[in-house]
Amino acid sequence: MRTPPYSLHTPDSLDDAFAIVEGLLEAKEDFDWVAGGTDLLPNYKWHLNTKNHVISLANVAELNTLNSTHIGAMVRLHDLSESEDTHPLIRKAAASVASILIRRSATVGGNICLDTRCFWFNQSEEWRESIDWCYKCDCGTGADCRVIPNQNTLCVATYQADLAPSLMCLDAKIHLASPNGKRVMAMNEFFSLDGITRNVLEPGELVTHITLPKNASDFIGDYQKLTQRESWDFPEAGIAAAWKLSGGIIEELRICSTGLESIPRLHSDEANTAISNWNGEESVEKLAESVRKAIKPVNNTYFNPRYRRKMVKVLTRRCLKPLKNL
Amino acid sequence: MSDEKEMVGYRQQPGKLPFARPGSGGKNQFSQLRDDELIPESQGGKKKQPWGDHRHDELVTSSAIGKRTPLYDAKWKVTGQAKYGDDIRLSNELIGKILRSPHHFARIKSIDTSAAESLEGVVAIATGADATAKFGVLPVTKDEHALAVNLVRHMGDLVACVAAEDEATALEALKLIEVDYEILDSNNDMAKGLEDSENPIHDRGKYHIGESNIQKRVFQEFGEVTNMEQKAVASHKANWHFQGVNHGFTEPHAVAAHWDPRGRLTIYTPQQVPHYLHRSLADVLEIPMHQINVYRTFVGGGFGGKSDPFPHEMCAAILARKSGRPVRITFDREEVFWINRGRHPSKIEMNLHADSQGRLCGVATDALIDGGSFASFGHVTTYYNGVLHTAPYEIGGFHYTGARVWTNKPASGAMRGHGAVNSRCAVEVGLDDLSEQLAVDPMTFRLANLLPPLSATITGFRITSTGMRECLEKVRAASGWDEKFRKLPLGHGIGVGCGFFISGSGLPIHWDPNKFPHATVHLKIDMDGGVTVHTGAAEIGQGSDTVVAQSVAEVLGLPLDMIRIRSRESDTSPVDLGSYSSRVTFMNANAAISAAMEIREELIEATTEITGADKEKLVIGDRRIYDKTDPAVGVSYLEALHKAQEERGALVASGAYRTPPMGRAHKGAAAGLAPAYSFSAYVAEVKVDVETGETKVLNVWAAHDCGKALNPLSVEGQIIGSCHMGLGQVLSEEMVYGRTGNLMNANLLEYKIPTVHEMPNVFPIIVESNDPEGPFGAKEAGEGPLLPILPSVCNAVYDAIGLRVNELPITQDRMHQNIEKLCKEQGVSDPLELTSPSIEYSQLQEILAKRAEEHEKRDKERRNSENVEPYHNGALFGYEATIPPEEQSNEWEVSVTPSQEYLENPRLAGSAWKHVERRHRSDA
Repeated sequence: MRTPPYSLHTPDSLDDAFAIVEGLLEAKEDFDWVAGGTDLLPNYKWHLNTKNHVISLANVAELNTLNSTHIGAMVRLHDLSESEDTHPLIRKAAASVASILIRRSATVGGNICLDTRCFWFNQSEEWRESIDWCYKCDCGTGADCRVIPNQNTLCVATYQADLAPSLMCLDAKIHLASPNGKRVMAMNEFFSLDGITRNVLEPGELVTHITLPKNASDFIGDYQKLTQRESWDFPEAGIAAAWKLSGGIIEELRICSTGLESIPRLHSDEANTAISNWNGEESVEKLAESVRKAIKPVNNTYFNPRYRRKMVKVLTRRCLKPLKNL
Repeated sequence: MSDEKEMVGYRQQPGKLPFARPGSGGKNQFSQLRDDELIPESQGGKKKQPWGDHRHDELVTSSAIGKRTPLYDAKWKVTGQAKYGDDIRLSNELIGKILRSPHHFARIKSIDTSAAESLEGVVAIATGADATAKFGVLPVTKDEHALAVNLVRHMGDLVACVAAEDEATALEALKLIEVDYEILDSNNDMAKGLEDSENPIHDRGKYHIGESNIQKRVFQEFGEVTNMEQKAVASHKANWHFQGVNHGFTEPHAVAAHWDPRGRLTIYTPQQVPHYLHRSLADVLEIPMHQINVYRTFVGGGFGGKSDPFPHEMCAAILARKSGRPVRITFDREEVFWINRGRHPSKIEMNLHADSQGRLCGVATDALIDGGSFASFGHVTTYYNGVLHTAPYEIGGFHYTGARVWTNKPASGAMRGHGAVNSRCAVEVGLDDLSEQLAVDPMTFRLANLLPPLSATITGFRITSTGMRECLEKVRAASGWDEKFRKLPLGHGIGVGCGFFISGSGLPIHWDPNKFPHATVHLKIDMDGGVTVHTGAAEIGQGSDTVVAQSVAEVLGLPLDMIRIRSRESDTSPVDLGSYSSRVTFMNANAAISAAMEIREELIEATTEITGADKEKLVIGDRRIYDKTDPAVGVSYLEALHKAQEERGALVASGAYRTPPMGRAHKGAAAGLAPAYSFSAYVAEVKVDVETGETKVLNVWAAHDCGKALNPLSVEGQIIGSCHMGLGQVLSEEMVYGRTGNLMNANLLEYKIPTVHEMPNVFPIIVESNDPEGPFGAKEAGEGPLLPILPSVCNAVYDAIGLRVNELPITQDRMHQNIEKLCKEQGVSDPLELTSPSIEYSQLQEILAKRAEEHEKRDKERRNSENVEPYHNGALFGYEATIPPEEQSNEWEVSVTPSQEYLENPRLAGSAWKHVERRHRSDA
């Protein structure tokens, strides 16, 4: 397997990077950002939506900041998981990604922007050609989706990244920048259907950092994920939960799922309904059931969707174990 | 003989060489007497021999055998200097790439290579038309071509190949080759393969079975088979489904081929069986064998997956011949899955019957195995699925039907534990179920039904040594079995499983020319004292170089650093059949010992001449030959060697090994025959998360009888490695075929090999049963240790949650589904409320314990006495032990063809016998 040839750009600053972007946009050239490369490069080897230009952020030092409320996009997952400043929930989620070798290279920004996955898509070029391609990488053929046949308007590839749900549960803000300026939004608003669109990033735009509200440290929580193996595997389902207690009462509760649909999903309604009338174990059970009902995985990852849905309930229950006796 | 001063002699000043002259040879200038602790009692030493004497006792010099020895080639590997297949670089080489079929089954109407040929940088292109001769590892089933001729039979089948100046050009050229296909209906359902088809995947001419896709079928009946159910008080039946698994070795296939100016081909390839490749290359290239030199590179894992001659090896040779330049081909991981040869996906029906005395009165197995699109080793696999579970237990009746079908998948083949793994799992889980039904301890049940040493199995295999009983007893004690079995809480369990495997296939794969040895070893020793060993045994990481070096070192009393192995090239090494069927230690070490004995004789002769000592009293110690009654009388190894070299120069010797005649006469009697068999028993302890279905293996106590651990370090390594590989098949590994027939996980992210996190603590326990014919008593340790891990985990799962699994791997989703069913059966809504199995022993337990005790006495007597009477399977059922039961009674069947009555209601694989071979049909 060989990565197709591309031009690699290595700017030293965001300004440099945006200058390159402007040049490429003007020339109507396609390009990708590369951070740690642990997602993009394997995909390039499989010839998945490769571009002629790749802009590396490796030398852009301003994206490396890490403290308790600011996480730079180029912070490596390993450093994030090891830092005392990182919120425990995020540390746990970061430490659960893939393997240590991957975490040494993979970045926060890369993990948040992870390409969606599907077993009809994450295959070699010859393999995909044998099924006449698919909607997510149709190679100009207008191919149908192989998961939900006879349509090529919705990509249902699955978002299998670990960090987003914990960040969303802690009410993180995501900061974007492009040659046209900067913008900031709630993490929740960053993701947008479908499996091809994935998020709101415009051409030339990138994630610069994540900020957490000051009161994030008042929240405690848990992240539970489903994988066949303890290492390497992408989450087949992931549930993060965070809550704030006040005098033995749950003041706030947030639950977010990943690995199940094309984007991570915050289950605010379900959580709010539950805490309005919290009753220990019974509420945990009810809430777990309502989260299970809310998600609709499709058959495109290692485990079948029926099982993954059932496990959503178990994972949610396990996340909320500390609330059982409240 | 210490290795402590590793670098003595390095950067020495002239005149300060540490060797005395002529010295003892070796790095350490002082030789030592023999270590009496390691010399067997039979030779006057102190080494206890609870399992009796051995014919090699007098060769023991306490130099190498039985010592924990790092592998001979380990330093090449850990320093990165080992050259694997893809590390070979030949000057002026071209890169070869293969165009593969995108279809599961299609007829090639035309191939147009003209556009690719005109691409700059493309030097040669080959298609099926360039080599039409068929090949295959087994001479009876040669059904492969270098490149598809007419038909492509699975996605990834080879269609054309290109040699170009670089990889990118070769890949670009592949896209320019136009192939016009006529797509045919494909099939990847093995049961459908039993039916007649309009387009069978292969045509075997007059030997074709009906118009079906059945490649091989086997029928065997031995013993009292007609009424096994009626005699039984407990019966087990299970329909198993085993998914296919791949070897998952680290190194993908890679090959380099070069024709030298004299027109000879050298092929560099990581092969387990260079000799069969040698033969196939001669067939395909249509040149005599002596024009070919097969060079085995370092092999980055084989496990059976590099033991076929491969089409890409032919391709490299063809492209190199066409282009006149060296050609190198290296596979992607996906291509490794396309060539596969992994374990067969299998549907196995297992029926076991136990009578009122707790004897195994019937075993009836039906195994349908999915061969994929080529024969490979499948002929043998079809037999092995049956015959390799006729031991270690004594059985009253054995009924086996097996069939292997072609489907449009990459070919299945030989993989560690070849053909024995799946049916063994089914048997051992069945025994657990029978014990449960009889309310006895499965350990005791096994111990009371074992064949003794020096006995014959129901199909006539010759058991020489067996340490089965000791294996069971050791894991029972080490695991704390009696305190844990059926006593652990829900979700926590313990289980036992056993194994039995061949120690070298009794018959060579190719038997022409007739009466050739299986293994030959040449030794050459010149005045420097170092011993060059020429052997064709393929070092594939299992330690074959080391074991041969150890054997020679032991006999000659030399440190290992004086032995150098030349095992790479067919030009210099004598023919060896290769690293398959766990034959290398048994056969090669025996051959090496024979060769070393010749040299030993010459050295002793020379010593007698120099010292005048009595030859009978001379022994070999560390680089010294001396009178054992007066060690001061003797000479150094080098002095003796130089004396022996007078007038003739270098000493050379050749030793060979060939299996003794054995086995019975029925059709298929040779399948599964081996000069010795290994035995093993494992106990696994697991935790099952009943809410998610996740199974975690905590501990494995793994006892393996390898006869004699020539190198305990590597035996332990084999046991631990086998556990890992077997655990993959139990827990998570499977080749998944999707609804389009595509292999969905041809990569190492989605093909789930267990990681270090999934690995349990493995406690290897070595049992040494001292095989009479094995080198220094040794048997195999490379494949047998894989067998018990599967059933011991399955049985532990039952102990944990009361669930009998019958499909592997037990991935979390499958387990969860099973647990849901179990909850329904038990009428509970929360899996945490499931009942953990418990047991109260029946009266039979005591009867079995007593029988086990008697048998233990019987076995000890048999293994230690000089004149042992024959023991034929059947004695436990009242037959005279010394005569084969079929000679005693008509009730004892021996049949290899089904009766009309059977064909009226056959089992699944048995239905293969409904078809009539073309040559026996009137319409054909």
